[in-house]
Amino acid sequence: MKEFVLDEPITEDLADYLRNFGEVKIQPLHGKQFLSFEKPHFISVKGVLGEDTVEVRYAAGVHDLTADLFHLLLFHYSSGKEIGKVREVEGAMWKAIRVRLGV
Amino acid sequence: MAGDPQRIVYMNNAATTWPKPTGVMEEVTRSMSLPFVEEGRSTLRGQVDYPAQAREDLAGFFIAGPPDHFIFTQNATDSLNMAIHGFLHQLGQPCHAITTELEHSSVLRPLRTLERDGRIALTVIPFNEKGYITLDAVKEEIRDDTRLAVMTHGSNVLGTVQDIRKMGEYLLANNVFLIVDGAQTAGQIPIDLGSIPLDVFVFTGHKGLFGIPGIGGFYIRDPGRVDPVRQGGTGMNSQSPYQNEEMPHRFEAGTHNYPGIASLSAGIRYLEERGIGNVERETMEMTRSLIARLRPAGSIALDNGNPDLPIISFNVDGREPDQVGFILARIYGIVCRTGLHCAPLVHQRINGGRGSVRLSLSCMNTPEECDRVAEALAEVARGAG
Repeated sequence: MKEFVLDEPITEDLADYLRNFGEVKIQPLHGKQFLSFEKPHFISVKGVLGEDTVEVRYAAGVHDLTADLFHLLLFHYSSGKEIGKVREVEGAMWKAIRVRLGV
Repeated sequence: MAGDPQRIVYMNNAATTWPKPTGVMEEVTRSMSLPFVEEGRSTLRGQVDYPAQAREDLAGFFIAGPPDHFIFTQNATDSLNMAIHGFLHQLGQPCHAITTELEHSSVLRPLRTLERDGRIALTVIPFNEKGYITLDAVKEEIRDDTRLAVMTHGSNVLGTVQDIRKMGEYLLANNVFLIVDGAQTAGQIPIDLGSIPLDVFVFTGHKGLFGIPGIGGFYIRDPGRVDPVRQGGTGMNSQSPYQNEEMPHRFEAGTHNYPGIASLSAGIRYLEERGIGNVERETMEMTRSLIARLRPAGSIALDNGNPDLPIISFNVDGREPDQVGFILARIYGIVCRTGLHCAPLVHQRINGGRGSVRLSLSCMNTPEECDRVAEALAEVARGAG
């Protein structure tokens, strides 16, 4: 698990972008909006809308393969919400994950 | 919110207690405001000899002696390693050892390593449906060559306290060296080491005894049964090429953790002033009350509904333990622990290794804090799925 401090607080716009790559849930709790992003076999992310830190957990056994995914998502989100290039990298990661895990 | 100490509800006391009593913090500060009395290493006189005082405090608190049979270490893990390896070194030949499914990695890893290295054959005894190790289960596993038993006094996941008196009577009568891991019970319940048949009792300072991290120890009944696995300066008999045999120097090499030892003494004083029986009663009342409030929430699955220690392990349907822990910390300011709690075999038995959320109280918690936790978890459970 790693905690990241983002350049900007988490927004609904970021959550919408993340939906392109995994399951995003936003749940109101105690006056705050809890966000979770799940991408099985890759990473899971937890945060709170409006706050600038997130907790990223990496799937067991493939940490070295997926370590850059969250950085990649943030980079492409902040530089134009690019999807295609992320998909390419994600596809390459998935190929390596499948070989590693035999799935 | 979680970063604001005024708003934190801290229920991770089975890991490390917080807050510490004011007297502990004051004693640590006081201990460092003057040079330490270092027996054999300093000409200073007239200040508090913290190691000597703490040994007296420990002997009084645990009703056992002599005080020099209380040894200072870094923590319970350190103590367990010293006792396990030291006993086997003295034994000098491979043997059969028993331990239990309830153990912490601080027991399991040294034993598994010794097993891998061919130094012991190891049997892990399962706990029953209520989380206890029965004497019958122990008897079933004892062999002619069983010489070592290492078992927890209190489970850090299920909060069950084992009947070490009954175990000790049987094991010692069968020439089995018994090491008890009291990391979770020391400072939580009354313990009369003088009347319990065991060979080594391990404790740590930073949990129920309210010391600071970095101080722990063990009580050893017959020091001659365990070889010292550390050698070094003791401040005396420097001309001798070997470790001093005198207690406590036999097991203590190098400079002490004086602030830690001072905190341990102050923590014990706090517990004695408040009364260990009162501490146990008040903490367990809060624990049972909190459990009663969690029970009706259908999506909260308790792993231990009736603990002997102030430990509550559970899962929330539809959420992973780490997600519950994150929500509690970041949204409600409630600090707990999630995962396997360094006790993998317990989780393997109770939920296939999924892990749990663990709330653990100390006598520094309040009923109002329990209310906050119950309300938060009810809300989290309602939103699960």
